Amino acid sequence: MSIEIPKDKWPGAVQTVTLGATAEQGGTRTKVVTIGGEQTLPFMHFESETPNRPVIAMEMSSSRPGGWSQVLQDTWGDVLDDPAKWAQACEQAGAELIVLMFGLTDADDNPITPDFAVQTVKAVLEATGLPLVVLGPGQVDIDNAILVPIADATKGERLVLGLCEEGNYRTIVAAAMANDHLVLGRTPMDVNLAKQLNILMTDMGLPRDRIIMDPTTGALGYGIEYGYSVMERLRLAALQGDAMTQLPLMVNPGFESWKTKESKVGEGVPDAWGDWAERGVHWETVTAVSLIEAGADVVVLRHPDSLTRVKESIDELMAAEPV
Amino acid sequence: MSRYIATRAIRGANALVSEAEAMLSQALKERGNNTSVSFPNTAYYLPVIFGMTGREIETLGQLEASLAHARKLLHPVPSDKQWTPYLGETLDSGMATLIAAETIEAIRYIYGLQPERMPGVELAGATAFTSPDADSAKEGASNGHLNGAIDDIQLRTWGIQLVDGRMPGFAAIVGCAKTNEAAVQIIRELQRRNILTFLCGNVNGRSIIDQLNEEGVELGYDTYTVPFGTDTLSAIYALGFATRSALTFGGMKGGQAREILDYNRDRVFAFVLALGEVDDLKYAAAAGAINFGFPVIADTVIPQILPTGITTYEHVVSMPWNEIDGGDDLEKAEKLVQKCIEVRGLKVQVSDVPVPVPYGSAFEGEVVRKADLRIEFGGRNSRCFEFLRMAKLDDITDGKVEVIGPDFSEVAEQGSMDMGIVIDVAGRQMESDFEPVLERQIHYFVNGASGIQHVGQRDITWIRLSAKAAEAGFDLEDFGKILHARFHSDFGAIVDKVAITIYTNPDQVGELLEEARETYDFRNKRLADLTDDAVDVFYSCTLCQSFAPNHVCVVSPERLGLCGAYNWLDCKASYNINPTGPNQPIKVGRVIDADRGYWEGTNDYAKAGSHGVVEELAMYSIMENPMTACGCFECIVMLIPEANGVMVVSREDTSITPAGMTFSTLAGMAGGGIQTPGVMGVGKFYLASPKFISADGGFPRVVWMSSVLKESMAAELQIVAEREGDAKLIDRIADERSVTSVEELLPWMEEHQHPALAMDPIF
Repeated sequence: MSIEIPKDKWPGAVQTVTLGATAEQGGTRTKVVTIGGEQTLPFMHFESETPNRPVIAMEMSSSRPGGWSQVLQDTWGDVLDDPAKWAQACEQAGAELIVLMFGLTDADDNPITPDFAVQTVKAVLEATGLPLVVLGPGQVDIDNAILVPIADATKGERLVLGLCEEGNYRTIVAAAMANDHLVLGRTPMDVNLAKQLNILMTDMGLPRDRIIMDPTTGALGYGIEYGYSVMERLRLAALQGDAMTQLPLMVNPGFESWKTKESKVGEGVPDAWGDWAERGVHWETVTAVSLIEAGADVVVLRHPDSLTRVKESIDELMAAEPV
Repeated sequence: MSRYIATRAIRGANALVSEAEAMLSQALKERGNNTSVSFPNTAYYLPVIFGMTGREIETLGQLEASLAHARKLLHPVPSDKQWTPYLGETLDSGMATLIAAETIEAIRYIYGLQPERMPGVELAGATAFTSPDADSAKEGASNGHLNGAIDDIQLRTWGIQLVDGRMPGFAAIVGCAKTNEAAVQIIRELQRRNILTFLCGNVNGRSIIDQLNEEGVELGYDTYTVPFGTDTLSAIYALGFATRSALTFGGMKGGQAREILDYNRDRVFAFVLALGEVDDLKYAAAAGAINFGFPVIADTVIPQILPTGITTYEHVVSMPWNEIDGGDDLEKAEKLVQKCIEVRGLKVQVSDVPVPVPYGSAFEGEVVRKADLRIEFGGRNSRCFEFLRMAKLDDITDGKVEVIGPDFSEVAEQGSMDMGIVIDVAGRQMESDFEPVLERQIHYFVNGASGIQHVGQRDITWIRLSAKAAEAGFDLEDFGKILHARFHSDFGAIVDKVAITIYTNPDQVGELLEEARETYDFRNKRLADLTDDAVDVFYSCTLCQSFAPNHVCVVSPERLGLCGAYNWLDCKASYNINPTGPNQPIKVGRVIDADRGYWEGTNDYAKAGSHGVVEELAMYSIMENPMTACGCFECIVMLIPEANGVMVVSREDTSITPAGMTFSTLAGMAGGGIQTPGVMGVGKFYLASPKFISADGGFPRVVWMSSVLKESMAAELQIVAEREGDAKLIDRIADERSVTSVEELLPWMEEHQHPALAMDPIF
């Protein structure tokens, strides 16, 4: 007996956004990444093709990150002390995109300076041909102090600059507009707040194809359902035609899962929890794949093994035959 | 539009375009078509011409076409006899003036006449340029000349601050102040507010640049005070700067004239301050600036153009220096600058709260105990009130804090004294309806200071100041400083000026208290008069959609939000403060059913806001399409079929109700954004509204009510009882002290002759 699968036809579509620019596009990247463009819910290939695969980004820092799990530190080793080498290692591990995070201080515990920030970004751009996302430490004054000169020094690269938040988006948006970059907007797990930030940023004249949104999410066992639900609702609103929710989604399963006790603590936990390193990678992988199924266009990871596994999952999800 | 201004601007424009044409033809003869023209260090060609016409001028020869364009924009001066509209013609002439001025300055750069030489001037930061004078090049090109055009590097630094609001705006000062002292004070007032200042022009050969130079005021990029040149033409650099701001930070392209001008009106808060006599050329240049939405304020007597149109508020305002009410130049300068801020609508940022104790929301819940007390205002032993009223913009000075009466140094430890805090608020977007909304914020603002405890509001205010805060130096004036800073930072969208007066003389406190009480009464009546029928806009509230994604509150004057925190006025103020925020106006539109409360507008909104979950919404019924709830309701109203009425359970009541469930169990049924006929979450003051389930019979349907409500709302409920024509109505309603089940409820109602027994069946 044949079963007729009902098909939805949505009036809206997710905005297509391209990260990075090649030499002929005014930048220096050897590869660019295009995300978005979905016209139906994730992987419903029988309703509409998925024009762009979800992308895996690797997170790295401007200097050795203080709070990272020992598992991650052991895995990456010495490259953690050299952003250029770390970026190359990410690319070799199979990353399609690099996310460079700035901490408040440099390797010698001195507060970061605009000059240091610009030099670090330049070093990473030289070390890898992948497109780059650059995120400040998350304090308004310092973010603005480093992101503006970074934007000026890398004009035309189509970097993604962040974080734009409700209280602090104008400077970053203006710097991005003046230098042909993109921005990442983050709002705390709320459809309306995400939408409002997008309205405010586009009101400044920033075109929609230069905005990516991070709706914030949680790790497996730490609020992932909540984040999943917000992403799902944003995507449903986008497909229903609400222009201000039609931006691609970028989320941080690496950051979220590696701060859980399960990933961070190797001693004094029940034996039944199993091998520490394996557990951390599982946690990150399951978190990431769940978020991809919620509609994530970019997942930012920390462990190279997670990357391999998530990539396999994406292959399978993308390969599913149209019904 | 003033015909006088039109005439002079058009005449000035005609003259300048002719002058530019003459200069260009001579320059073409002497230097040739292919001589390159540019301003120093910019990628935007001649920026005004590029922005407005899209022409990428690189050589002298290309300027001919630009000037031809300028000539086409010219018009004859208005005739004395025939009255024709001339606003458009004046604006066109202004644009022609800008093109001509930029052409002339570009030619002067070729001849080495720009930047203008001024021996003895040393700039603190300036546009670098290749000077024929070897010495000045060596010295970083900042000596012996004025700045001329601003380069792209500085444009980026300042432009971004103008766009993100760190810099509230810029002033283009043209002319010469009455005196050197006046010039200095005006500049100081602008610098104090972080307003970028460009200087140009002269009156009878004397420029404000000369004045400031003589007084030793440091000029240049580093002091945010940039001398362009001593003639009016150099004002063009200000508009070149504005044009490039839009091109750089607004994502516009050369030739998008309309977009660039709109961008400047909406986002670049600039104004022209004309000091001294205004001649034809100044009028013409001013007309050019008005195209950008930049108004003109003059310190001499000139005709005014007050109606809004091209600019956000007034176009041309005259504020003659001699007539400014002020004791000295400083006071006059302050008032003049304040006027400029007001006319252009600049928003000055106040970020820090300047008090000697730690300040932040973390201190809001702090309690000052008797043992730690230095002094208290209000409470049992003294009177204290707070009173916020709207004032006219011209009547108050922003930031003025005045203490009238003695401070507390003479009051014994742990003593008390009378205090009245009167706050005058003025703003372009301020409405008297916002007075109570803002007044209620005082509680949170004052409580943010460490060592200060604030309780109550209006004439039951009670403030305690700890010994520690007093030791740290906190005095009465600091209350004013807190309020000034917080009203600006939190309500800047509707508040432009805040002045605070603190009274401590018992006689004065008494007098003002009476005045305040009259206003409180007036506001109470105003709220009572504010009915759903009297307005055509309700407000949505989607604050809780993060918890209940499909729930929407529709807030009307007679039905406040179910959380009790947002009434219609709050929503209105919230919308004015944050136009993209959670409270959006709903035009109620055509009435579908006035009794049950259906309008086209509310239905459409309910459907859109609930993402299609709610199809229709009855504002006044619990039985048919009731409003949904998130989970933060103050009370639950629920049908008791056996009693032909409803019960009202307070959030604070933990006991069992006649429905056999407690509040927390019932909450699961009432919340979640689902329409459930017979169950509704509401704000407790809705109970006293004439529109409370009015479609189902109104308040007499209430057969059972948590005693905490009866007690806390005794006065309001008594008014309802009398409105319903039964002064004993509240006594007929059962509560948890007498009735805990339906079985007990019916005999109780019989015994107390509850009206619901005789009403029509509720369904």
